[in-house]
Amino acid sequence: MPADAAIQLRDVAFEYLTNGRVTRAVEDVSLEVTRGATVAFVGPSGCGKSTLLKLVAGLLTTSRGTIIVDGRPVKGPLENVGMAFQNPVLLPWRTVLDNLLLPFEILRENGDPRAPDRAVWKDKASALLKTVGLAGAEHRQPRELSGGMRQRVSLCRALIHEPRLLLLDEPFAALDAFTREEMWELHQTLRRHREFTGVLVTHDLREAVFLAQTIYVMSADPGRIAHVHEVKLPTPRTLAQLYGAEATALIRLMREQIRPSREAVA
Amino acid sequence: MSGLVSRRVVLPLLLFAAVLAVWEAAVPLLRIQQIVLPTPSGIALTMVHTAGPIAFHARHTLVTTLLGFGFAVGLGLLLGFAIGASATVHDAIYPLLVGFNSIPKAAMVPLLVMWFGIGAVPAVLTAFLLAFFPVAVNVAVGLATLESELRDVLRALGASRWQIFRKVGVPRTMPLFFASLKVAISSAFVGSVISETVASNAGIGYLMAVAGSDFNTRLAFGGLFVLAAMGVLLYGVFAIIERRMTAWAYTE
Ligand SMILES: Nc1ncnc2c1ncn2[C@@H]1O[C@H](COP(=O)(O)OP(=O)(O)OP(=O)(O)O)[C@@H](O)[C@H]1O
Ligand SMILES: [Mg+2]
Repeated sequence: MPADAAIQLRDVAFEYLTNGRVTRAVEDVSLEVTRGATVAFVGPSGCGKSTLLKLVAGLLTTSRGTIIVDGRPVKGPLENVGMAFQNPVLLPWRTVLDNLLLPFEILRENGDPRAPDRAVWKDKASALLKTVGLAGAEHRQPRELSGGMRQRVSLCRALIHEPRLLLLDEPFAALDAFTREEMWELHQTLRRHREFTGVLVTHDLREAVFLAQTIYVMSADPGRIAHVHEVKLPTPRTLAQLYGAEATALIRLMREQIRPSREAVA
Repeated sequence: MSGLVSRRVVLPLLLFAAVLAVWEAAVPLLRIQQIVLPTPSGIALTMVHTAGPIAFHARHTLVTTLLGFGFAVGLGLLLGFAIGASATVHDAIYPLLVGFNSIPKAAMVPLLVMWFGIGAVPAVLTAFLLAFFPVAVNVAVGLATLESELRDVLRALGASRWQIFRKVGVPRTMPLFFASLKVAISSAFVGSVISETVASNAGIGYLMAVAGSDFNTRLAFGGLFVLAAMGVLLYGVFAIIERRMTAWAYTE
C-alpha cells in the first residue's frame, strides 16, 4: 500500500437489511485517496454515494471488503472525522459559539488529548468563524442566520477539532447559486489553512470539478464506480476555469455518463 | 405586541361580561326559576357568603391536582425517555400504553375507592392516571425524531449513545415536554375533580356533589366558576413556564 494513501477501499460492498429485505447499495468499490486530496462522488440518485460516505466514516460496517483509514482497518465510528450535510443541523438552543464547542465537549468527556481547555477552543472557534466570514457571530442564535451562514457554521463545526478527514454529503445543495460558489471558494481557502483529506458527495458536476482532484462517477443498482476522472486544472482554482474548454468538456462527458443509467431507472 | 396582548385579554373579558349581562336580564324576563338557573348576581352573592368553605375545598382540589400531576410528570419523563431511547422498549410498551390510555379513567375510580377508601388518595391517583400519558408520549416523540444527520455528526466524534442523549436528545425534547405539561395539568385537574365528585369528603368536586344533592343550584354554579378559574389559572401558569423555558423554539 502506498505510504501516502489516507483512505483505501478494497472490494467494498454494502447491503441494507430492512424487514428481511436486502438492498444492495454498493458493490465492488476499490479506490485510494491520497492524503490531503479531495475526491468527489457523483452519480444518479440512490446509487449509494451517501452509503459510501458513511462506510468511510465507520458509521456503517462493510458487508464485504475492507476500508483502511490512516493504515488501520475501520471497525467502528472514526473519531478524527468531520461531517457536514445538506441540512446544517445546528442545535437551535445553543449560540453559534456553543454549537462549535460541541465537538470539544464530547472529545473532552471522552478523554481525547485534542481537547485542552475551553479558552483555547474559544480562540480556535473565533479564528475559524473569521475565516468563513462570520467574525463576531459567536453569540448569535442559529435561527438568526441565513441558510448560507448556517452552512458555514456547520462547516466550522466539522473542522473545529482539526479532523484528518472531512466528509461532505451534498453540503451546498440547499444554497442559491451565488452562495454555493462562495462556499466553493471558502472550501478552497480552508484547505490552504489546514490539511485534511476530503470526500465530497454531490449532484453538482461543476462543484465536483471545482473542488476535487479525482471524481468517481457511480452507476446504480448496485452502486459501482463506473468511471474515474482526474481533474487536471491547476490550483487554486477559479470560477472562470469552470467555463474553460477543459472543464466544460469534462462536465459534458460526466453528464453523458450519468444520464443513461438515469433513463434505465425511469 | 402589547396591543395584541391587551386585545387577547380584553376582548374575551368583554364577551364574558356581555354573556353575564344577558344571562342576568334573561332569567327574570323569561321567568326562569332560580332553582333551575340562578342569576349571576345571585351566584356571586352565594360565593361571597360561602367564601370560607369554597377556599378550603379549592385548596384541597389544588393540592390533589398538583400531587397527581407531580407523580405523572415523574413517571411520564421516565417512560418517555425509555420509550424514546430504546426501540425494544418502544415496541413492548407503546401499544400497551395506547390501550391503557383509551380506558375512560372515570371508570377506574370505583376500583381505587375499593383499594384506598373515600378521600384524597383516589383523587390524586385519578389525576396521575390521566396526566402521565401526554408527558410520556411527547418526551418519547421528541427523542425518537432526532435528525439522523445530527446523530451521524456526533457519532463521527466518538459520542456514545448516552452522550447523544444528554447533549442533544434531552434539550431538543424540552419544548415538547413543556408543551405536554399544559395538557397534563389540565388532565390532572379533570381527574381529581371527577374523583372528588364521586368519592371524596373534600374538594370542589365534593362541594358541587353536595350542593347538587341539596338542590343548591347557586352553590353548584359557584363551584363551576371556581373550577373554570382554577383551570384557566393552572393552564396559564404552565403556558408561561413553557415560553420561558424554551424561548428558542418559538422565535422563528
Ligand atoms: N437506511 C436504509 N435502509 C435501507 N435502504 C437504504 C437505507 N439508506 C439507503 N438505502 C438504499 O440504498 C441505496 C443507496 O442509497 P444512498 O442514500 O447511499 O444513495 P445516494 O447516492 O446518496 O442517493 P441521493 O443522491 O439521492 O442522496 C438506495 O437504493 C437506498 O434506497
Ligand atoms: Mg445521499
